[in-house]
Amino acid sequence: MTLEARYFDGRTTRLSTVDLSLADDHLVVAGDGIALRVPFAEIKVDEKLGRAARRLRFADGAFCEVSDLAALDILLASAGHRDGLVDRLQRHMKVALPAAVICIALAAATWRWGLPWLATIGAHHMPPAIARTLTDQTLRVLDRGQVLLPSKLTEDRQADITARYRALRLPEGGAPAGKLLFRESPALGANAFTLPDGTVILLDGLATGLGDDGEILAVLSHELGHAQEHHGLQLLLRSSAVGAFWTFYLGDVSQLLAAAPTVLMHAHYSRDLEQQADDFGAALLEANGMAPALLADALEKLATLHHGPAETSAYLASHPSTPDRIASLRSR
Amino acid sequence: MDEVLGALRPAPYTEEPVQFTGRGGDYFRIWIVNLLLTIVTLGIYSPWAKVRRLQYFYRHTELAGSSFDFHGKPLRILIGRAIALAMVLVYNIAVRMQSVWTLVVIAVIALIAPWLLRNSLRFRLYNTSWRGTRFHFRGSVGGAYRVFLLNGVLSVITLYLLAPFAHQRLKAWQHNNSYFGKTPFSFRAGVGDFYATYLLLALGIVVFTIVALMSGIGGMMGSLAKPGGMINPKAVFVTFAILWAAIIVIGLSIGSVFYATLTNLVWNNTSLGEHQIECRMSWPKLVWIAFSNFALVVVTLGFYSPWAMVRLYRFQAESFTLLRTSDLTEFVDAEPEAVGALGEEAASVFDFDIAL
Repeated sequence: MTLEARYFDGRTTRLSTVDLSLADDHLVVAGDGIALRVPFAEIKVDEKLGRAARRLRFADGAFCEVSDLAALDILLASAGHRDGLVDRLQRHMKVALPAAVICIALAAATWRWGLPWLATIGAHHMPPAIARTLTDQTLRVLDRGQVLLPSKLTEDRQADITARYRALRLPEGGAPAGKLLFRESPALGANAFTLPDGTVILLDGLATGLGDDGEILAVLSHELGHAQEHHGLQLLLRSSAVGAFWTFYLGDVSQLLAAAPTVLMHAHYSRDLEQQADDFGAALLEANGMAPALLADALEKLATLHHGPAETSAYLASHPSTPDRIASLRSR
Repeated sequence: MDEVLGALRPAPYTEEPVQFTGRGGDYFRIWIVNLLLTIVTLGIYSPWAKVRRLQYFYRHTELAGSSFDFHGKPLRILIGRAIALAMVLVYNIAVRMQSVWTLVVIAVIALIAPWLLRNSLRFRLYNTSWRGTRFHFRGSVGGAYRVFLLNGVLSVITLYLLAPFAHQRLKAWQHNNSYFGKTPFSFRAGVGDFYATYLLLALGIVVFTIVALMSGIGGMMGSLAKPGGMINPKAVFVTFAILWAAIIVIGLSIGSVFYATLTNLVWNNTSLGEHQIECRMSWPKLVWIAFSNFALVVVTLGFYSPWAMVRLYRFQAESFTLLRTSDLTEFVDAEPEAVGALGEEAASVFDFDIAL
């Protein structure tokens, strides 16, 4: 059996059309003034990449180029040559499709478990100075942008809530370390939130809307749960990682687009973290001689308060499945 | 009379179009297997994947019935990547520290960058061959400091007024120091040609900025239109969505037009020995490919990318024609050289784009 090939000497671009054949473990190259007999063991065979011509390379830099891949396979098989494992794997759809499924599964697993795990570790090891800087910056942006306005609660009322907040005893002992700040916000309505360093912001809408001190403390306990587990930092780390990934994945054309998925997936993130904060809050209330049901009462009241225009429901939008949470707290 | 005219006529060129024979479906199988191997080895396999990718594209690119080839060794690339990664780490730590060391590290990186970029050019060309003869880059280290560092600083301090000049000098240096075997490439586009192309870019950026600003302001007014100045999250989201869409649409269009125009300018003014290179890259087609590729890659969560890469590469490669004056058998390879991959990997990690 002979096989047509193009022979190049590796030093010039002169092309010679030759015939290849096998004879006693040797490759015989003949034609166009070329007559070679090369031991097959000394020949390096290129991978079969798609439809590209394959090259048989000789030790001196010369090579033969073969376009008839099927005929070459037969020649290689009879010479006892076996292609590498990856070379063989990357030819078939029956390998490619499972590989695609495994890639998707690995990506999903990283998304669901790997990223939160890394974010938790990262958040717990973040130097306090960075958390403080982040808090100061966030607060400054919110204050300057008039998203947050000075609180209209009386100083006595503020001092009263602060005193009860300070009197809370954490499970591991001691009072809450972070500051409690009061603000008013038409944009955010009845709300309370935690900043990266553990500072809790209580908005007037929530304080007046709930009225009952026990319920206010219940919401603050829930927020302390966020602070305790560094949820703010975790979210920040996760969204940075997701942003970096999308930037890498979609390429540099769309760096700005990268932020979109981060924002869109934010809501999903919160579910586990809310559960953690609820658990912490409930345990904290019990440890301080109060009923975990207070948090459920507060959530219920907030749900009715927020049963209004869409733009004021921000607090609940980031706290999904409120009825489930209320039920879970009541069953304690 | 006829003889005089005959002598004035250009040399008899034969058109030799570049052809690409790769297919998305074939490349998908190679891509996905190498992607999976890269993921499960936490990236260590990526140099092997990179070599396969380049080999796939080079070996399906044909000129006069013979294909190109890539000879880079994965292990070399892995070492290059490890060093580059270490440099990125040092750089990031230095930037965080915000002390005198930050400046020292940035200065050191600025000083070695031209050397790395020159090595990157050498590595790429040296590891590319056609019919067994390799390409070479012989630009000097001094030249690299002149075109990357000196001209770079010049264009920054003149507020980029000298950027087209710097770009022309870079391409001239790059192409005038490139060889196929022993045969030199030569470059003849002047500074004026580059200024004309950049003027087009400047106009595009002005239009881009105006449209982006207008959509931004429009969205902002929409979101603040409510009485009491309440922030409407939906309106804010819509504003950003419009802004992103505008930036992507205009960015992709300007990028494509600029890329096509500049590629044509550079290659139509480049010759290899006696042979001329012709590049007829159509920018409307490039814009269309950029948009449809982008949309399909996003919609398929990235699984269209092998097809997208093949499509884009085919379009780019097939824009080229070699106007040959001989049967292309006269090229002779030069002496082999030892070229490390550090430059190429460091350049790609630090995101220096020298593709144009």
